[in-house]
Amino acid sequence: MKKGIENQSFLRQASKTGLLLIVVAIVTLEATALVQYYFSQKGIREEASLRAQSQLESTRLKISAVIDEAETAVRNSVWIAQWSLDYPDSMVAVTRRIVCENPVVVGSTIALVPGYLPSRPLFSPYSYQMPGENEVHYRQLATEAYDYPSQEWFVKPLELQVGYWSEPYVDEGGGDILMTTYSMPLWDYKGRLAAVLTADISLDWLTDLVGNVEVYPNAFSMMISRTGQIMVCPVESLIMSRRAQEVAADMEGGDVFDELNRSMMAGETGNLSLKYRKTTNYVFYAPVEKTGWSMSIVIPDSEIYGGIRRIGMMVKVLQLLGILMLILILRSSIKSQLKFKKLSENKERMESELKIGRGIQMSMIPKIFPPFPERKDIDMYASIVPAKEVGGDLYDFYIREEKLYFCIGDVSGKGVPASLVMAVTRSLFRTVSAHEKSPQRIVTIMNDSMSDMNESNMFVTFFTGVLDLGNGHLRYCNAGHNAPLLVTGQGVRELPVVSNLPLGVMPGTSFQEQETDLACQDGLFCYTDGLTEAENAGHELFGDDRLIALLRSDSLAESQLKAVSQSVMEFVGDAPQSDDLTMLYLRYMNESLPDRAERHLILHNDIQQIPQLAGFIEAIADEIHLDQSLAMSLNLALEEAVSNVIMYAYPEGSDGLVDIEAIIRHDRLDFIITDSGKPFDPTQAPEVDTTLGVEERAIGGLGIYLVRNIMDDVRYERAEAKNILSMTKRIQ
Amino acid sequence: MEVKINQVEKVITAQFIGRLDTPASLEVSRQVQPLIDHADLTVVLDCSQMEYISSSGLRIFLTIRKAASARGGRVIIRNMNEDIRKVFMMTGFLNLFEVEKA
Repeated sequence: MKKGIENQSFLRQASKTGLLLIVVAIVTLEATALVQYYFSQKGIREEASLRAQSQLESTRLKISAVIDEAETAVRNSVWIAQWSLDYPDSMVAVTRRIVCENPVVVGSTIALVPGYLPSRPLFSPYSYQMPGENEVHYRQLATEAYDYPSQEWFVKPLELQVGYWSEPYVDEGGGDILMTTYSMPLWDYKGRLAAVLTADISLDWLTDLVGNVEVYPNAFSMMISRTGQIMVCPVESLIMSRRAQEVAADMEGGDVFDELNRSMMAGETGNLSLKYRKTTNYVFYAPVEKTGWSMSIVIPDSEIYGGIRRIGMMVKVLQLLGILMLILILRSSIKSQLKFKKLSENKERMESELKIGRGIQMSMIPKIFPPFPERKDIDMYASIVPAKEVGGDLYDFYIREEKLYFCIGDVSGKGVPASLVMAVTRSLFRTVSAHEKSPQRIVTIMNDSMSDMNESNMFVTFFTGVLDLGNGHLRYCNAGHNAPLLVTGQGVRELPVVSNLPLGVMPGTSFQEQETDLACQDGLFCYTDGLTEAENAGHELFGDDRLIALLRSDSLAESQLKAVSQSVMEFVGDAPQSDDLTMLYLRYMNESLPDRAERHLILHNDIQQIPQLAGFIEAIADEIHLDQSLAMSLNLALEEAVSNVIMYAYPEGSDGLVDIEAIIRHDRLDFIITDSGKPFDPTQAPEVDTTLGVEERAIGGLGIYLVRNIMDDVRYERAEAKNILSMTKRIQ
Repeated sequence: MEVKINQVEKVITAQFIGRLDTPASLEVSRQVQPLIDHADLTVVLDCSQMEYISSSGLRIFLTIRKAASARGGRVIIRNMNEDIRKVFMMTGFLNLFEVEKA
């Protein structure tokens, strides 16, 4: 439940962080895009404006060229027209010449100011070309139907007294073409305003020129006259039929149109944007000089910004995709973090369980040292260092009926499975050893029990011993474990062990029991192979030699074991511990051990002292309850050995001593006879043939023969100028 | 160690009382001289009260036995206790003597 709440709060926290991340990402992306968009737009607008203006300029120049040509044509003909004022009949020829010589001029007239020539109050001979024809026609404009003096082209130049471009108009007679007329006032030689000279030009080319201005595919151009007459426009029905002002009035948002029209008609140059049918359009406009026309290029903003908007759209799509991906990634990351959290929680739980397991395991083995503080006859210390939290090594010991039951074992494998088998092994040891005194029986019963239920095929190397604390007699049984080390005053050596099979391998296995005797201060160092096979970083093993070199019979168990631990730790260094490491060191400290009793007798080299031996032996025999017969045998052997010394070692008449030492152990007696006489090795005496007859039997040699027969072992040694004869007699 | 020698007709009996150890043997070897002197007779060595015998004691017995063998007499060992008998057996002396129990 608690975990659930923790997870939820973690999830909330992670979601919050994720959301923040997404917001930051969106803001950053959007800001970048906006900045980019703003500057791109600015650049594009500038470019569009530049393009429009350059188009306007080039179109204007092209128009000007035509206009100039027409003006020039008129101006060049002014002198001849002036001249013709005096010869009205020649006027036709003058106009005809203007039309013929100037391709842009499609019609020309010299219209007299009414009343200038009294003979011809109204007179306006007109030469013209029909579109597509080379032939030049003539017509008199002064007719009843056409009142030329009231026409704009006639009135304006006279009024302004300069050349004047007329409003464009549709020439109904000349094939409905858009025309405009340049008119110049003509003065006669006397300086009187006499007539107006005109040149008509067709504006068909203008429609083509202006209409074909293509800045952008959907952009278009318009041209209006100074009065707002629509001259060029994509909507043909409007051309020359409507004025721009009227069109603007029909439109919603006409104010801007009005403003545009006013500016254009005023001949201003500029640009503005106007909204029409929900599209914003940019309008660039500029006047065409002299004519009063104004040209505009209208570019819908979708044309200008179409590209950048498409890019913007794509950027937005990409951003969206990116953010979507970010969300997905965050989602899966949160999920996997949650999973990881769960995993590490599991791991934590496992670790805490292992810790508890370790506690249980450690509580199974005796760990309070010294374990028997009230006892002076046993000095023990043990330690167990699992390679993992829990291990498969074990040791155990306890005292029952003045006997120390102890064991050490190593389960195959490591970790939890090994620890379970370890627990079983330890329990079995306690249960079985509670009723059995023989290590061999303990091991056999344990093995049968473990083999029967050993489905996991795990086995245990095991060594158990029962030490009689009263006399140091040790019975032990090994089950595949490495031999413990026997630490004595004479040095360190392996306890002789029959290896036998480990526990749990095969039911019905027979195990061999062995025995030995520990003397006071003898130690038994039991360990698992984790000690000698501890590896350093260079994969070098700690080994037996290092261990043996560390063991000293006079060290207390605790300090000895700690010294070994220290040495192993120093040896291993930083290398990871590969195996459980267990040590159990017991030292037998029974100083009142009858086993070690020693008796001393010193005799002079006088044969009469020999009877003292009888008393010496008798005392020993009484002490250890030897039967009479054995006592007599021992007496005999001792007497023979000692009398040998007395008779042979020292020269006749000289004084010498014979030292007799008896060492009493529970299972044997050792007699050591030492003298300082001449070297004499009785063991080298010839064998006596006991099968010979009376006549052949030699008198001598019987003494040493008896010694050999009575004793189990007789050894001679010459050391420090002394003869040392050691004799051993085993006793039950 | 005490040795009592007693002759009845052609049987000469020596009774050993106590321990026949090495120092005792020195004395006994002199005391048994009459037995060697009468080695043509039947010599009875009564060991019923002999508590102990060492190799020097065995040598005295062998000396007597050899003398008897040389002179055509008999040597009978009588009433050895079990421990002394063991020593005799060990040394092969049982084969050299006539041994009888009382």
